[in-house]
Amino acid sequence: MKMTPAGVTFGSIAVLAAVVFVVVVLPYADTQKTRPSEIVRRRTPEEALGRRLYMENGCVYCHSQSIRAFDWGMGAQRVAKAGDYVLDRPILLGSARTGPDLSQEGGEHPDDWHRAHFVNPRFTRPLSIMPPFSFLAEKEASHLIRYVQSLGMKAADRRMARQKRWKAASVEAYEAGPAANVAWLHDQIPAGWRAVPNPYPTSEAGLARGRKIYQDFCLGCHSPIGDGMGPAQPFLYPPPLNFTILKGRGISGGILYYQIMNGITGTAMPYFKKDLESEKIWEVGDYVAVTFIGQSDADTAPKGIDAAYEP
Amino acid sequence: MPTPPFEGKGKRPADEIPEPGRYATARGFCLTSAFWMIVAASAGLLGATELIAPDLPGSLAWLSFGRIRPVHINLVLFGFVTPGLLGAAFYYVPRLLRTELFSERLGRLTVLAWNGALVAIVVSLCMGYTQGREYAEPVWPIDVLVVGAFGLIFFNLALTVKNREEPLLYVSIWYVLAAVILTAVTYALGNVIWRPDSGALSGIPDAILLWFYGHNVFGLLLTPLSAGVAYYVIPRACRAPLYSHTLSLLGFWSLLVIYTHIGTHHLLQVPVPTWLKVIAVTDSVAMVIPVMAFLINIWYTARGRLGEIHADIGAKFVFTGTVMYFFVSIQGSMMSLPQVQRVTHFNNWVVGHAHVGVLGFAGMIAIGGLYAVLPKISGRPLFSRFLADLQYWLILIGVTGFTVVLTVAGLIQGNAWLNGETVYRVLGEIHMYYIVRAGLGLMVFSAALIGMYNMARTLFPRKGGAP
Repeated sequence: MKMTPAGVTFGSIAVLAAVVFVVVVLPYADTQKTRPSEIVRRRTPEEALGRRLYMENGCVYCHSQSIRAFDWGMGAQRVAKAGDYVLDRPILLGSARTGPDLSQEGGEHPDDWHRAHFVNPRFTRPLSIMPPFSFLAEKEASHLIRYVQSLGMKAADRRMARQKRWKAASVEAYEAGPAANVAWLHDQIPAGWRAVPNPYPTSEAGLARGRKIYQDFCLGCHSPIGDGMGPAQPFLYPPPLNFTILKGRGISGGILYYQIMNGITGTAMPYFKKDLESEKIWEVGDYVAVTFIGQSDADTAPKGIDAAYEP
Repeated sequence: MPTPPFEGKGKRPADEIPEPGRYATARGFCLTSAFWMIVAASAGLLGATELIAPDLPGSLAWLSFGRIRPVHINLVLFGFVTPGLLGAAFYYVPRLLRTELFSERLGRLTVLAWNGALVAIVVSLCMGYTQGREYAEPVWPIDVLVVGAFGLIFFNLALTVKNREEPLLYVSIWYVLAAVILTAVTYALGNVIWRPDSGALSGIPDAILLWFYGHNVFGLLLTPLSAGVAYYVIPRACRAPLYSHTLSLLGFWSLLVIYTHIGTHHLLQVPVPTWLKVIAVTDSVAMVIPVMAFLINIWYTARGRLGEIHADIGAKFVFTGTVMYFFVSIQGSMMSLPQVQRVTHFNNWVVGHAHVGVLGFAGMIAIGGLYAVLPKISGRPLFSRFLADLQYWLILIGVTGFTVVLTVAGLIQGNAWLNGETVYRVLGEIHMYYIVRAGLGLMVFSAALIGMYNMARTLFPRKGGAP
C-alpha cells in the first residue's frame, strides 16, 4: 500500500467521518428521543447562576452527579436516568468521587449548614479535603447554595419543604429556652427509643473509639469541649447543642443514639446512619454522655444479654 | 524493507551549526514544551498538596483545587506534551522529506499563537472562565485560537510535504499529518465550537460527544504524535531498518479506526445506549491490535540493539515511553471491562492510569524527542548527559510511584464503596497515599526544572564558553 499525502490526509478524514457517524451522530439521534424524567423541572435564575459557579470553581472534578445502577444497595436513594439530564447544558456527570455524589444532594442539609460548609468544609466535616470557598461573595454563596439545594429537582424540593418545616419548629423550640428546647427535642424521639439505655458498658476502649468518632464527625459544630461553640457555630441557627444543658433533663443513651442516627432535620444536625455503623453510634453517644453531659446510662437495666467481649 | 531516510547518508548534521533561523519552529516548540512542563508540574504539585492540606490556598480563588486541576491537565496536554512532540516533528518532517520547512516564519507565528493560547488558558481557567467540560474547558475564543494553530501547523507541514525531494512518505509523516488534521477537526467538534456561548450540547448527547473528544485527545493527538517520534528516533538510534512496513500500515489505520470508537467506555455506568457501550468495550479490547502492531514494530527494530538505545539519551526516553505504552494500553483495555470498572471507576485508579499514559508514555516520548533533536537544531551536543539521566530517573520513579500509590488508593476507595462505606469515611484511609503522591510530584517538578536548564544551556551557550 503506497501512502501518499492525499491518501493519508483524506483517508484519515474519511475514517474519522465514518466513526463520528457511528459513535456521535447515531447516538445523538438515539438519545434525542429521551423524555424528561419525573423529577425534572426548570431551574430558577438563582439556581442557574449557582450552577455557573459550580462549573467555574471546578466542583465537577471531585463530585459526580451520576448515581450508578450498582450504587443501589450501597446507600443510594435513586439511580440516575437519562431523562434526569435533559435540561443540563453542559451535563455535569463528573469523573471522580473525591467527594460524595451530589445528584440528590438538595435538601439533605439546611441552608445554614451549607453556608458554614462553604466557608470552610472542615467546619462541618472535620476530615473533608474540599477547598474552602470563603472567597465567594455573600450573593455568590447564596446562588451556589440554591443550586446545591436544587440537586434532585422535584425530589429535592420535597426534601427542602421538610427542612423548612422542621427549621421553623426547631427555631421556635430553641427560642423557648434550654429546658423547653431539650423537652421538645426529646419529644421528637419515639417513646420506645427514649427508654433504651446505652446497651454497651462504658469502657476505656469504647470511650477511645467514641472520642475518635467525635473528632472525625462532631467537633466542627459541637466543639472539642462539647459546648456547641465549634467553628461552624456562628453560621448555624438554631446553634449546635451545648451538651451540658442535657444533664438532669431525661437524656438517655437511646435518645442520643436516635438523634445521631437520624439527625434533626431542619437543624444543621445531619444523620449519620450512612457514615457510622451501630456500635460506633452507641460509642460516640456514650463518649458525649460521659465526657460532656457527665451522666451516662450505659450498662444499666434493661440491658439484655451481655455481648461476648464486654468487660 | 523501508528505512527512515537518514538525512545525508552518514553526513551528521550535528557536526555543523545550522544557519540562523533554520529550525526556528522546532526550537520554539522545544522551549515551549520545557517551559510549560514546569508550570504544568507545579500546578499538579500544588493540586496534590491541596489534597493533603486543603486550606493551603486560603481564600485565593485562583489557586483553588477546582481551578488548578484543569490548569494542570490542559497545560500537560497542550503545554508540555503536544509542543514537545511537535518540536521533534518540526525537525524530523523536513529531514525525512529531504527538504526545508515550508515557512519558518509561519512556524514562528504558530509558536507565538500557541503560547498565547496557553497563557490565555491559564489565566481564563484561574479566573473561572470555563466551559465546565473535562478536557474541553477553554472558552470559545481560545478554542478558535487552538483550532487555528492546528490549522497553521497542518498548512505548514502539508506544504513541506508538497515540496519534498524524498518520494516516499515515512510512517512518522503519516502520523503527524493525521494527528494534526484530525485533532483540528475533533477539537472543534468536541468543544461544540458552533455554540460559542456554552460550548456544549444538552444532556446525555453532551456526555457522549465530550468523551468521544476527550479520549481522542489521547487517541488522535498524543498517541499518533508519540508514535511518529518513536518511529523516527528508535531506528535512527539503533541504526537499523524498521522491522515491518506492513505493521506500520496496520498500526496506523487500525489506530484511527479503533481508538476513535472507545470514548464511551467512560460512560459505562451512565444511562447511554447499550449498543454504544458494546462498541466502546469491544473496541477498547481491540486496541491491542494497533498497540501491539506499533510496539512489535518498534521493539523488533530494537531487538539486540538495546545497548545503542541505552547510549542515546533521546532513544532511552522514547523506548521507556513505549514500555509504558504497553502497560497503559493493556491496563486501559482491562479497565473498559464493566466488572473491572465497578471497582476502578470514579477513583484514584483512573488518575494513576492517566499519569502512566500522559507522563509515562507520551511525556517520556516527548522528552526523548526533544533530546534527540536538540543537538541537531542547535549544532551542539547536549549540555549535560548527566542532568538528562537524572531527569530520566526522577520522572521514571515519579510516574511509577504515582501508578503504585494511586492504584492502591483507588483499590481502597473502590472496594470500600462497594462495601457500602461512604466517600467521607474513606478519605482518612487514602490520606497517606496522597502524601506520597505529592512527594513523587516534587520529583517530577524537579525533573521539569532540570530539563529546562539543560535545554537552555544547550540552546543558549555562554558566550566565550566551550562550544
